[in-house]
Amino acid sequence: MLDGCQHRGPDSTGFALYGAGDAETYRLRFYVGTGPLAEKSVQRIGDVLAREGAQLLSGERVGGSYAASVRHKGPVQKFAYAMEHAAKLFSLGHRLEIVKDEGTAHEVDERYHLGKVEGSHGLGHVRLATESAVKPEAAHPFWATGFSDIAIVHNGQITNYWKWRRRLEKLGFEFRTDNDSELIAVYLAKKLSGGASLRQALSDSIEDMDGTFSFLVSTETEIGYAKDRLAAKPMVMVETDDLVAIASEEVSLNRLFPGQALSTREPLPGTIGTWSRSI
Amino acid sequence: MVTLDLAHLSVREANRRLRELGAAGDDVEILNPDAKHHIGVGLVHPITVKVRGSAGYFCAGLTHGARFEIDSNVGWGVGDNIYDGTVIVGGNAGAVAGVAIRGAEVIIKGNMGSRAGQVMKAGTLLCCGNASFMAGTMMYGGRIVILGRSGERLGEDMTGGEIFVAGGIDSLGTDAVETDISKTETDSILEFLERHKIPFQGHFSKVVNAGAKLRYTTPEPTLRNQPTTVAMAGGFWNAKTQEDIEVKAVTGRYRVRGYGTSRAIPHFNDIAFRRDILPDEGAVSKVNLAMELGSRSGAKPLSLSMPVLIAPMSYGALSRSTKLALGIASRLSRIAENTGEGGMIQEERDEAGQLIFQCLSGRLGWNVRDMQKADAIEIYISQGAKPGLGGQLMASKVTPELASIRGIPPGIDLRSPSRHPDVLGADDLVIKIEEFREATGYAKPISVKLGAGRVKDDIKIAFKDGFDFVELDGLQGSTGAASAEVIEHVGIPTLAAIVEAIDALREVGARKNEMPIVLMGGIKDGVDAAKAIALGAGAVAVGTAALIAGGCISCMRCQAGYCVTGIATQNPEHEKRFRTDVEAHNIHRFLESMRWQLAAIVHGLGKTDVHQLCRDDLVALTPEAAAITGLPYEARS
Repeated sequence: MLDGCQHRGPDSTGFALYGAGDAETYRLRFYVGTGPLAEKSVQRIGDVLAREGAQLLSGERVGGSYAASVRHKGPVQKFAYAMEHAAKLFSLGHRLEIVKDEGTAHEVDERYHLGKVEGSHGLGHVRLATESAVKPEAAHPFWATGFSDIAIVHNGQITNYWKWRRRLEKLGFEFRTDNDSELIAVYLAKKLSGGASLRQALSDSIEDMDGTFSFLVSTETEIGYAKDRLAAKPMVMVETDDLVAIASEEVSLNRLFPGQALSTREPLPGTIGTWSRSI
Repeated sequence: MVTLDLAHLSVREANRRLRELGAAGDDVEILNPDAKHHIGVGLVHPITVKVRGSAGYFCAGLTHGARFEIDSNVGWGVGDNIYDGTVIVGGNAGAVAGVAIRGAEVIIKGNMGSRAGQVMKAGTLLCCGNASFMAGTMMYGGRIVILGRSGERLGEDMTGGEIFVAGGIDSLGTDAVETDISKTETDSILEFLERHKIPFQGHFSKVVNAGAKLRYTTPEPTLRNQPTTVAMAGGFWNAKTQEDIEVKAVTGRYRVRGYGTSRAIPHFNDIAFRRDILPDEGAVSKVNLAMELGSRSGAKPLSLSMPVLIAPMSYGALSRSTKLALGIASRLSRIAENTGEGGMIQEERDEAGQLIFQCLSGRLGWNVRDMQKADAIEIYISQGAKPGLGGQLMASKVTPELASIRGIPPGIDLRSPSRHPDVLGADDLVIKIEEFREATGYAKPISVKLGAGRVKDDIKIAFKDGFDFVELDGLQGSTGAASAEVIEHVGIPTLAAIVEAIDALREVGARKNEMPIVLMGGIKDGVDAAKAIALGAGAVAVGTAALIAGGCISCMRCQAGYCVTGIATQNPEHEKRFRTDVEAHNIHRFLESMRWQLAAIVHGLGKTDVHQLCRDDLVALTPEAAAITGLPYEARS
């Protein structure tokens, strides 16, 4: 799907994938790069894991990432923040893993062997970088930092970003970037952790977020979208008995149904939708 | 029927073949379209193109006379700006279907997305299913027929045209109203449906503009007018301030006026050349001022005899005679002219040696035929005088002739949308530029006009999106009409804009003049031009200065329509006072004075080419200018 849409974002590509996983284990994906500092980062990750009382079950370097399976008991937020201070942490969750890096969908797939992943749902994103340095950490998807298993991809711009960021920071939430997508992820995750359903959290986001946006969010068991009231950013979807697929353009959906005429629809302005399935 | 298979051909190659086949009169079938963008863009021949599957954005966009049949769905902007012709979509259409059509039949068999028919001028847009949100927003003419439900906010801020709905109206937009439908109108729709073999039984509701927002209610009273010299005299209780207050006391709203800012703002006068310059009468023959502009993408660049252009100003804001004079002057001085917003007039095209054709949000006067006559294409995002706002043209200037070029109803206080219907982000912009390139066979430079606001971000996007050059307009830039609040208080100064732009280009690793910045916004002579180029601009553009050379008296009443010099008017009696030939030569001589000043400075500083000017040649005269530019406040050589 992503290679079909690469013209919208040739610089970096990212995936948030929900594999098998289990409730006892956390999967952590760090970005450590490939240079000489990578080993040091891995070392530091090990040290902080030990300090936090986490047990490292396995760890391997794939591409520029370091994927660790750990066992940890205790509050996830404190643990996640501690790990984020140790190294660039792209995702944390029982099932979620975020892989994102410079390059096209095919290049990132090749580097990280994503074709082999089996799972129930996922998000993807291609990014147009206007800065010369294409930084992997600026790529999407974004993880809701501090929360387990929540990820987001977003096209648009949140114009009351700083208002919401300051509010959330006062409540003790931390942000790793100035990217508004990360804000939406944390905003939604906070709602969910307070007991709201994903539907409710998404509906609230349409009230609370100003600007133009089409975004997709995923949790361990659900996937959902929200679209701003002006329908400024594209979104098109196709739904069958077996799957739902949502993209910016039909060309991505066609990848799933080559040669078939699709009955697509555009979600209406100011609407949300959610789907759930477990493997 | 010839078959083109997009599994093996790029859209660019397929479109090139389509143009050839169109010229030969051959119909075409396109296989494996795979929802790719720009299929058929720029086709100006009356052939039939059958697309066997789904098409992406702007299918059949910027075409004239062809017939397109798409079996399945289309993405955004199907039939964009189509001049005449037919498009039939078998499935659903994405957002802004039929955007800015100038006269065509666009038929969507399924549903259509948001903002369908935005800024359309003429023709019929038919949706056999349901429409979405804001169908017919800011439409100027033509008709939209919806057999299903209308969606919310139907006809939002529509200016002209009619919308007919058979399946129920969900809600009406601002300034839209339901009215009675006549038998003639019903018959005309039924004939249309029958001709296209679309079965239908039912009744239509009709929606038109309510007329509450077409004209300002209380006109501004005519008082003793206070020109810019008074406004800039200093002291905030000056006669201009009093005039503004008195007018607002009558109208109860903001003032709309023309011209640029009338406040003192750090500008090129606040920087200077740090070395003595000994003027040399013969400098022009001793240095190189000539340059090419717009070759970054491999298109045929503009060839300028010096780094100066005429700034974009519309036929509409300006009289026809003034546009001609600017065209003549630009040809005599071997530089480039720019159409501005209101479309291209043939005489202007004939007079100007090189003409840039501007595309604005309202797509007023925008069309593929004139694109193909232009030497460069420019997409307008915003301007220095009013960043973030659309164009305004007061009713007194919207004559029937002008309205017909623009494709709008005559006699309205015309407002253009504040943003493009189909460009709502950097990713959309990439697709839009590609459409322009397809429509012009990749042969013409494509530039972007930006008002100075978030310059760094904007310039980085422009560089990434592949523009050939940028026209960057600072806060001091002028306009034909805007509210005084934005003219005076929105945007950043020209001096700051160029510094930020060059910083941005350095940060993304652009080579010097890889994507040249044409700086404008209060450039008054060749000395300002030389300073701008020393700060990193590739060239400058002059608008107000050229108009003053052509007789403008700076009364700041460009919006009113009764310009006494015949420049900013559409009144034939006033226009008579403008002697095109005389003023063309006045403007030309002014441009030549800029040439001499530029050459004298380049030569005086011991250089041989104008682009050798650099920051080291400059010094700041005030702390403010030093803070803005980073130039040394005191020269320590």
